Amino acid sequence: MGGMMSFLERTFSHVPKTYRCGWLMPLTWLVWHRAAFPKAKEALENGEVPVGCLMVYNNEILGKGRNEVNETKNATRHAEMVALDQVLEWCCHRGLDPRTVCERTVLYVTVEPCIMCAGALRLTNIPLVVYGCNNDRFGGCGSVLDIPSADLPHTGSSFKCISGFRAEEAVEMLKTFYKQENPNAPKPKTRKE
Amino acid sequence: MEPQLKRRKEYECDIDSWVAYPVLSNEQSQDIELIEAFAAPIINKKETSRLIKELAKVYPLPGLQHIKRVRSCKDKGSPHPLEVIVCLASDAPVIDRSEELHISDLSSSGRLNCEGLGDPFLVKIPACPPLTRPQFEQASKHWPTSFHEDKQVTVALRGQLFTSSQKSKMQEYMMAAVAAARAGQESGMEAVGAAVVDPEAERILAVGHDCRQGGHPLHHAIMVCIDLVARGQGGGAYTYDKYPACQSVLPYSLPSQKQGATTTTCGVVQDGDSAEESGEPYICTGYDLYVTREPCVMCAMALVHSRIGRVFYGTSSTDGAFGTKYKIHAQKDLNHRFEVFKGVLDQQCSDLNRPVHYIKINS
Repeated sequence: MGGMMSFLERTFSHVPKTYRCGWLMPLTWLVWHRAAFPKAKEALENGEVPVGCLMVYNNEILGKGRNEVNETKNATRHAEMVALDQVLEWCCHRGLDPRTVCERTVLYVTVEPCIMCAGALRLTNIPLVVYGCNNDRFGGCGSVLDIPSADLPHTGSSFKCISGFRAEEAVEMLKTFYKQENPNAPKPKTRKE
Repeated sequence: MEPQLKRRKEYECDIDSWVAYPVLSNEQSQDIELIEAFAAPIINKKETSRLIKELAKVYPLPGLQHIKRVRSCKDKGSPHPLEVIVCLASDAPVIDRSEELHISDLSSSGRLNCEGLGDPFLVKIPACPPLTRPQFEQASKHWPTSFHEDKQVTVALRGQLFTSSQKSKMQEYMMAAVAAARAGQESGMEAVGAAVVDPEAERILAVGHDCRQGGHPLHHAIMVCIDLVARGQGGGAYTYDKYPACQSVLPYSLPSQKQGATTTTCGVVQDGDSAEESGEPYICTGYDLYVTREPCVMCAMALVHSRIGRVFYGTSSTDGAFGTKYKIHAQKDLNHRFEVFKGVLDQQCSDLNRPVHYIKINS
């Protein structure tokens, strides 16, 4: 038991105290976050950038998304956007106010949300995002820009991020994808390393 | 018929009533940064070339290739017509600033023969090469600086990049966005409109307006347009049949000119010929976007993902991401950059935020 506790302490030392509520919350995150990976795998199998996510409200999954950009020819169809649509639909069916629901919904995603998705999460008032690896190309939660805590009074509410969950696994999937060629993408500009 | 025509004339405007200005990167638009250096008058002109050679060895100015080492003093009455940068203040030996400085203090233990130099004084010189003419003019006030001018940027900053015929096309496209914004406003939406244009074919591919009140907080005008373009290419994730003013491909004319004809057409009008034969473009590559107000960060990044060609907007917005809060189109680390212009039909676009304004004209 002592070993388990020190493992948890190491893993969650960066998590803000307000979110900890003992060790129960982090364990819940771990479980939900893990459940986002099959969606990422599904994306990979369908020739999409392997990112998967889950939106959880009151211990219920309201949205499950994966990247659908090539399928829809719409470059904004990231996993988070797909899952947000399902949450909004769920609210609509039950006649619930989306804002009230979103304010208590946590996003679990395999990769750091991009700048666009971070903007969308602000606009929908999602309070907490738990993610795996960083996104050096488009990351909107610190890698390229820091949208969650930016001063944007007319762009919804700020949100908290917790990262590093199963990061290696998420990176491996991305690497596998980028090793294959994306037939729909224009010739990539070689980045200076 | 007559009075209607007249009203339209009043509402249409002259292409000289607005100017499109480029939204440049921070590096291009910020005030130039200055650093302190010691300069000294050359009291014996014959020593000039020797001094320049020696200074280059003893006090090289790495990274400051844009700085001209010697300047001629404008004041003709000055006894010493030339002044030279001796060294950066940070390269000078630690000097008690309360005492008067002598040129011998900068001789670098005799490595520099100070013969022909007067006593040094502090100047501020530009730390980086100027990128635009305004920066060059600002830099030159401090110390002579070389400048490799990008003529297109200079012309654009003067608001003279576009010809009258280009401007009238731009106006036509923005009018489509304005008309969509109005149509959206009539169905209770916020008055924001956008249009995606193929500039080569001179054709509008999609027009959309804000649809947030329809139950989806992320259906901003640009997100609607992006999906309409996808739909026109055989993809798409949504249907906007509920909103007749949101459509991909306008077959006849602009809604502003022929409201009746186009607003009855619902949903997607597939266009058989041009695009399919020449191979479908990748999302929005090469297309231009016109939007009545500066996009938010979500929409701006959506345009990066969609590889938009250029963006034109009317007025700035408080949290805007193409100039106000961010410059996403010029953001370092992002793999797609593009030009953004603001000010297209700025008056009409900012009027959209004033409710009931247009109702008077249209009814």
